[in-house]
Amino acid sequence: MTTFDEEMMKRALREAADDFAISDGAVESILDEARNAATSDESPPIRAFIRRNGPVRSTILAAAACVVLLAVAVPLFNSEGTAKKNVPTAIKFAALPRVGTHGGSGAVIAGTGESSLSGQVAAAGTSLSVPVGKTVQKANATSLDGSLRVEEVGTIQLSVGARHFQSALTQLTDFATTDGGFVASTQSHTGTKASHSYSTGTIILQVPERNFTMLVDQIRHAGDATSVATSATDVTGQYVDLQARISALQLSRTQYLKIMTRTNSIGGILSVQNQLNTIQSQIEQLQAQLNLLNSETTYATLTVALSEAGHPVIAPTHPRTGVDKAWHDSLHGFAAGVEWLIRIAGPLLFALLLLGALLVLGRGTWRATERRRGGIR
Amino acid sequence: MSDALDVDELRTWLEDGYASSVRTAYLILGNRPDAEDAVQESFLRAWKFRDSLATSSSFKPWLYRVVVNTCNSKLRKEIPHRNRRRPDDDVDDVAMIEDPIGRVTLSYDVISALKDLPAHLRIVVVLRYYADLSERDIAIVIGRQPGTVKSRLNEARRRLALHPALQSEAPSPINVRKEKRS
Repeated sequence: MTTFDEEMMKRALREAADDFAISDGAVESILDEARNAATSDESPPIRAFIRRNGPVRSTILAAAACVVLLAVAVPLFNSEGTAKKNVPTAIKFAALPRVGTHGGSGAVIAGTGESSLSGQVAAAGTSLSVPVGKTVQKANATSLDGSLRVEEVGTIQLSVGARHFQSALTQLTDFATTDGGFVASTQSHTGTKASHSYSTGTIILQVPERNFTMLVDQIRHAGDATSVATSATDVTGQYVDLQARISALQLSRTQYLKIMTRTNSIGGILSVQNQLNTIQSQIEQLQAQLNLLNSETTYATLTVALSEAGHPVIAPTHPRTGVDKAWHDSLHGFAAGVEWLIRIAGPLLFALLLLGALLVLGRGTWRATERRRGGIR
Repeated sequence: MSDALDVDELRTWLEDGYASSVRTAYLILGNRPDAEDAVQESFLRAWKFRDSLATSSSFKPWLYRVVVNTCNSKLRKEIPHRNRRRPDDDVDDVAMIEDPIGRVTLSYDVISALKDLPAHLRIVVVLRYYADLSERDIAIVIGRQPGTVKSRLNEARRRLALHPALQSEAPSPINVRKEKRS
């Protein structure tokens, strides 16, 4: 294996360099150039101001990092902040009175309603244990105020007497129609058990928001309501956000239309037209979302699970306890963690890429400046 | 008045460092005119921005840094557009000199091998073995970490050891070591 003799290399280089004779007058030539250059302006010593490890450079880097973090964090938190706020108004009935004439054993009423409200939802976030009738009145009293957009959700399980399924179904349909609503869908099933036929089914009703609680009250009295659950979701923020974005885009569209009237070149017109198409598309998308939200907050949807006595449509759910509950909570927590990781992966990656690009750009600029200035530290 | 004083300072710089700088540039660039141009430009730049010297730890690495950067600039922008192996290159003329004791032949072989190195390796070799800078000072000069300098020096040594010009029977940095070992 060959090795390298450093001393020999030094000697060889020195000898090669010694063959280079210094030109006479080279030093004087440089001095003359320097004297001429002395009369020219000197640029400000930027490098002295922004030194490699100086505080100014650190401050600039820190500020850039803060800007990047803010650029990522603000949209992230905004998107979380504008999410729907669930306002549950679940009402549990510990001992429901047996109402109605059919002597049924129980009923489930499931309703999802969205309404335009002007007041506060008094029962929001609370769980009440009150008689059915009082519950409905409570919800009704707190549902009207024009400044709020709230989706109401409720479920009713209703049991009617034997062979009264069809008449109950007709009655529910009449309730909806009378209250200014309609039947969105129905499902029914007929079965036989011990030489005895029975029917069960589900009916989804939609009524104007103002009549939602009245409908719940009517249905509750049409049979034996074993459970009623309602909830309200405040979508006011989402609604206002959509309106604001549409307004801003409409303003932009107006500005672009003005620009288009002043543009003469074909390229300019095409460019403005392209922008207008984009804005128009965005406006239509947002308008569709707004219309949907508006529709949802105008009509409340109520799902009624109807059954004859002794044949419940929805099997009662047993609350999880002990190891079973812990296991499911654990699974849920794991899934939530994975969801969170996936959710932040995008913004985090974007932030890292942006920071990397800034660093590369800054380093490139710095090195270019160095080269221009002759590598002076 | 102050300019006159500064020019006197430049004269001092030139007296102290012109010869070593121009020879370093010559070894890096491989020809005389480019070396003289680069060093003249370097000294003028250094003198122009002499105020920043106050923040520098050492004059010698600082000046070499200016020279090396100017040489790098020439290697990137000017010299690639010319034929670097022109017949009038000074280093090639070295071989034509009568050389009874083999001194010039050795220098020629070394320079020839050096010219075949990539610029970034050639620079560290010249700074280490001609300018006699430490690895730490070379790191300052080329604006890299000392580890990078060490790595480049190792790579340069490896390539030089394998270069055909330094594999002959004549004395060379490689053959001398082989003889010593045997």
